[in-house]
Amino acid sequence: MSSNAREIGRREGAFEREPARRVFASELRECRYDFKEGMDEKSPTFVLLPTGERCNRIFIVGTLTEKQRQGDQNIFYRGRVVDPTGTFFIMAGSYQPEAMQQLAKIDAPAFVAVIGKPSIYRKDETSAPMVSVRVESINIVDKDTRDLWVLDTAARTLDRIEKFKTSSEPDVTKAKEIYPAIDLGVFRRMSYDALAQIKI
Amino acid sequence: MDFSETAERISRKFQKSGHTIDPKKIEVKLRRLIEEFGVQPSEAERSVTNDLAKEFNIPQMGTTGGAGKSGSATEPKKIADVSPEEWVTIEGKVVALSSPGSPAIAQSGIIADESGSIRFVAWAKSNAPIMTIGSWYKIESAVVDDFKGIASLKIHSGTTVKECETDGALVPSTIPVVNLHPGVGSVRAKVIQEWDTTHERMLQSGILGDETGTIKFVIWKEPGKEKLTVGSVYNIFYALVDEFNGRLSLNLNTATIMQDDGDIQVSGGNAAVRGALVHIAPGSGIIKRCPVDGCNRALSRQNYCPVHEIQPRFIYDLRIKGWLDDGEKTHNILLQRDVVESLTGITLDAAKEIAENNPLGMDEVFLQMRDKMLGRYVTCHGREIDNRLLVNSCKRLTFESSEHAALLNRAGGAP
Repeated sequence: MSSNAREIGRREGAFEREPARRVFASELRECRYDFKEGMDEKSPTFVLLPTGERCNRIFIVGTLTEKQRQGDQNIFYRGRVVDPTGTFFIMAGSYQPEAMQQLAKIDAPAFVAVIGKPSIYRKDETSAPMVSVRVESINIVDKDTRDLWVLDTAARTLDRIEKFKTSSEPDVTKAKEIYPAIDLGVFRRMSYDALAQIKI
Repeated sequence: MDFSETAERISRKFQKSGHTIDPKKIEVKLRRLIEEFGVQPSEAERSVTNDLAKEFNIPQMGTTGGAGKSGSATEPKKIADVSPEEWVTIEGKVVALSSPGSPAIAQSGIIADESGSIRFVAWAKSNAPIMTIGSWYKIESAVVDDFKGIASLKIHSGTTVKECETDGALVPSTIPVVNLHPGVGSVRAKVIQEWDTTHERMLQSGILGDETGTIKFVIWKEPGKEKLTVGSVYNIFYALVDEFNGRLSLNLNTATIMQDDGDIQVSGGNAAVRGALVHIAPGSGIIKRCPVDGCNRALSRQNYCPVHEIQPRFIYDLRIKGWLDDGEKTHNILLQRDVVESLTGITLDAAKEIAENNPLGMDEVFLQMRDKMLGRYVTCHGREIDNRLLVNSCKRLTFESSEHAALLNRAGGAP
């Protein structure tokens, strides 16, 4: 009994917030596998990146190019955030009132930092999966922060690509199985192109 | 499986009695027992130790083991070797007595020998003689139990307690803070931080640390107890190690404490984390603190302190609580007033001005700080305690073209 009680205590004490992964839009767009860790209703859901990393939360910095208010009863906002490689689709609904109000306040175009949770949608069985990001927080930032994010994200992406070749971690193995057709060389070039777009 | 640690331990045991045994040989024996014969690792260790003891003609090396609850109740045992639910006989020195918490208890404290130490409780019903600190006793047929995960020796009516002639001085060996486990522990550590006491019976509480880690400590008010000095190093023998909510803390009331002249480079003292601020938590910005001497708690919006109730003459302060994320791990961070001021450019006076004159009041300060900091890249230096980084300095990250160039090379290199 006592050892059991202690274990529970440890688990609570050792709560770890899911880190916000850094990923470019054109990699996130390729995701089509998500899964849940654990049976609990509140267990976190993860999206598996083609480079073999699970993410429950992501951090992106880009340009908000478009913002739209939708719905009558349940108001929500959709937006497009563009990075050097592509577009993130973001949304904030009445379940995230703070995020929604933050997004409502921002006029496009603007550099924004977004912390949010990625998820995969399909319109119906046959249509292609769509990855969208449910916003937890969004804030206007400066161009310096955008540039720092591109460096950070390129470095993290290259880390993942390098690890992918040698690692036998379950997530990497799973990614090889789910995304057999994806050549990681694409993401290396994508990182290079993103970096090259930053003017010194 | 790796047996080198166990082998080292056995080899060290024999080293003490003057026999040198190659740990490699011990390892072979252990491996054979565990891998070939499926013996439990603890049983294998015991059996190898006994085997070697027989070989060198050393009596009572390992425990006689296996016999379990009754077998060896009258053979004296080393304190380090006793395990819960055993009947044991030990010889040790009473190194600490603590005030019993219940009338059913005659005496409680810590008893130690060269091998280690254990908490003990003498029941009032046991009619055991009153023991004094510093004397040696032979305690026959006591029971070891496991109370809240801590081994403790129970002296009951069937236990015989005899004072011994022995007058050995015991020099307990200190262990790294990171290796402490619930029970009794001795450490050499530095007082890093003193906290405001949260209870009127409390004399002092704070954080102790050594090269390997940090731990909370507490001293309760009792005659003869003195406060420790922040920044000083102490040898602390026989402190009680308690566990609460999965975290350890040291109760120093039982401990013998000696100040030490040396210094310690405490671990975690200079953790640096570089990442993005992904969350600014409620309770950041300008806050009100309780003005009662030594309290300093954050007040609610209605100026209510959980201990001292309504405090209209509160003191303003600035802080930021949040999460700093490097993409691999998220760190809980806490920034104090001076760090907040230099990072956000909002001084306490400016924040006060906003809080008192803006229609949104204190919320406006929170919003301004969030807008300035959320999503920004920073580097924080500070001390990491219990998964929280107490930040001493925090700087905005700047774009380095050398880093940019290095990454371009890395991405453009051979695939």
